[in-house]
Amino acid sequence: MFDRPEVLGMASALAANASARLTAIAQNVANADTPGYHARDAQPFQDSYLAASGLPLRTTRPGHHNGFSGQMLTAVSDRASGHMSPNGNNVSLENEMLAAAGVRQDHDLALTIYRTSLGLLRTSLGRR
Amino acid sequence: MGELLGTLSVASSGMEAQSMRLRYISENIANADTPGYHRKTAPFEAVVDGGKSSGRVALGDVELDPSDLTRIYDPGNPLANGNGYYDGSNVDMVVEIADAREAQRSYEANLKLFDQARQMSQSLLDLLRK
Repeated sequence: MFDRPEVLGMASALAANASARLTAIAQNVANADTPGYHARDAQPFQDSYLAASGLPLRTTRPGHHNGFSGQMLTAVSDRASGHMSPNGNNVSLENEMLAAAGVRQDHDLALTIYRTSLGLLRTSLGRR
Repeated sequence: MGELLGTLSVASSGMEAQSMRLRYISENIANADTPGYHRKTAPFEAVVDGGKSSGRVALGDVELDPSDLTRIYDPGNPLANGNGYYDGSNVDMVVEIADAREAQRSYEANLKLFDQARQMSQSLLDLLRK
């Protein structure tokens, strides 16, 4: 009767993106003292969202993916984190902490939107 | 959710490696006055699982620092040679303390990420309440 509202798909994609980015940050921090390690990061949500909405797939059946699947959000690439130290490692703990705070914010935002949307749906169904 | 659990395991591998590193540092400091002691070092290595990097980290094999031992002048020491010198250890306290501080800082960073991943999965579970 009704499809899954797009705002819910978007919110869960943002939460999945935040998890993927936190994993990349945790790997960077764990390897902060590994010689030759380069800091990595998952694709920011904005980029993956624009890429997904630029070429929307037609969803004609319930089984079709609606474009915001979590798969494309986990592309991991090198990124400039800090200065290269003499052992070839460029992880900067300060930048990683900053990125972790941003990820936390994104995740909280996504969950809040999700919860509020569910509340709206409940209200429309006449429940409290 | 699965991603967050993976994050927990990565962060805990970092904490484990840092605490092992602190253990070797404390061994070095404890043996700073042991004659003939070479300081221990252990390299950090990325763990490869099934041919690809898992993101986890582990300490590699212990190596001994090959640099020269300090020569200490003490003619009364039983180990002293004809000139009155004997070989001490090559532990430098300043280097060890700096290393310990770095280990502590990295450990705290891993702990902070562990806590953050735990809180994020907790708030995800809170969605299911009510």
